[in-house]
Amino acid sequence: MHSTRYLHILLAAVLLAAPIAHAGEGSAAVKADELKAEPFRDAKTVGKLTAGDKVEILKKDGGWFQVKSARGNGWVRMLSIRRGVSRKASTGSEIAGLAGLASGRAGTGRVVATTGIRGLNEEELKAAKYNETELKLAESSLTSRAEAKKFAAKGKLTARKLDYLPDPAEGEQP
Amino acid sequence: MNRMIVIRGLTGLGLLLCLGAAHGFNLGQELRNAAEALQKPGKSAELGGYSEEEETAIGRQIAGSLLGAAPLVKDPQLQKYINNVGRWVASQSERPDLAWHFGVIESKDINAFAAPGGYIFVTRGLYQLLDNEAELAGVLAHEIGHVIRKHHLKILQQSKLVDLGGKLLAKQVGGDEKIHNLIGSGAEIVSRSLDKNAEFEADRIAVVLAARAGYDAFGLPEVLQEIGHSATGNSGSVALLFKTHPHPDERLSKLGDAVGSRFDGLKGLTLDNRFYRLKP
Repeated sequence: MHSTRYLHILLAAVLLAAPIAHAGEGSAAVKADELKAEPFRDAKTVGKLTAGDKVEILKKDGGWFQVKSARGNGWVRMLSIRRGVSRKASTGSEIAGLAGLASGRAGTGRVVATTGIRGLNEEELKAAKYNETELKLAESSLTSRAEAKKFAAKGKLTARKLDYLPDPAEGEQP
Repeated sequence: MNRMIVIRGLTGLGLLLCLGAAHGFNLGQELRNAAEALQKPGKSAELGGYSEEEETAIGRQIAGSLLGAAPLVKDPQLQKYINNVGRWVASQSERPDLAWHFGVIESKDINAFAAPGGYIFVTRGLYQLLDNEAELAGVLAHEIGHVIRKHHLKILQQSKLVDLGGKLLAKQVGGDEKIHNLIGSGAEIVSRSLDKNAEFEADRIAVVLAARAGYDAFGLPEVLQEIGHSATGNSGSVALLFKTHPHPDERLSKLGDAVGSRFDGLKGLTLDNRFYRLKP
């Protein structure tokens, strides 16, 4: 009995430690990538980032971030960077939230009840009663294909051809 | 061993047929299809062989239950707007003529759900994180990806037969309640994790569909960046999302590997001004 309680405290401490460290960091590279003089592939390489390198994001252009870093300044693909600062102020209790997150992430088994979670959890989804009225209401907002085309034209959106992306994991196989 | 479970699972079909009737949707045909598919060796990955009618019936059941847990945000303009954006993006997929339905539901959680047949819902919590139409398009395109690749249909079929087989094997099936637990309610499926690769696949599809629709391809990655932060701030609201999806950093990294330099020079619109904003 006593040891179980101790284990819980220990577990909570371990789970909390990682996200807090994470929260304190700024923007950083999630993988190794090149720093370019301009936001495109053929531009001159001005430096190299390795995973974990801290950067400061100055500007965005399409899929590129202009960054400042200890390894130089330049443009890097946005998919290689984790943005460190949220564009919106976060709300809610940091600690309670982190506890909920930690148990959520650690839950490798089946449904686990966790404290500190608000909103739509598995228990609520399981207990949900079918609601035909709401479903009909949802279906009443249907947009036809033709309507959608008009909506797109109003926003000056033009459809274009583009192939699906291959799975890089499969591409590596001989 | 697997074969054994499948055979045992089939003996439970009678029980399930009754249950299907009680729940008001056609589990019978569904299970027969699944049973056929599972009997073929190595075919489990190709499950999902429903008619469009069956798929929609399953989708309605799941969507109706989800709405039972979290109703629509009562804002007709918002609901029409999300249907306009969603249908335009879905029109770029290989299933443009499916009766696609989109909606924003009342929940502080940050999440989005897809059900077979083209039923897609975004929570108010996630919607409020969005900054422009391209980001909404990216989120919806990820869910559209799940629908067109029938990811949920596949786990529905697999879990029903395989799970049941396992339980019967252990001779633990007793009354109706236990069978109900086995099947779960219709909405429970949306809280289950898909294979990690199904999530990465939906991300790859999402950036392509958004770009095909004329949007900035990087709307979804922007949202993933933002969700990464919610993880450190208002994180109770992402607990389910994080439990059922790989971490946003991992998703960004995998997507980066797939995109490489393919989208260099590809410009698209974000339509910040047209984006329908919800009051906080």
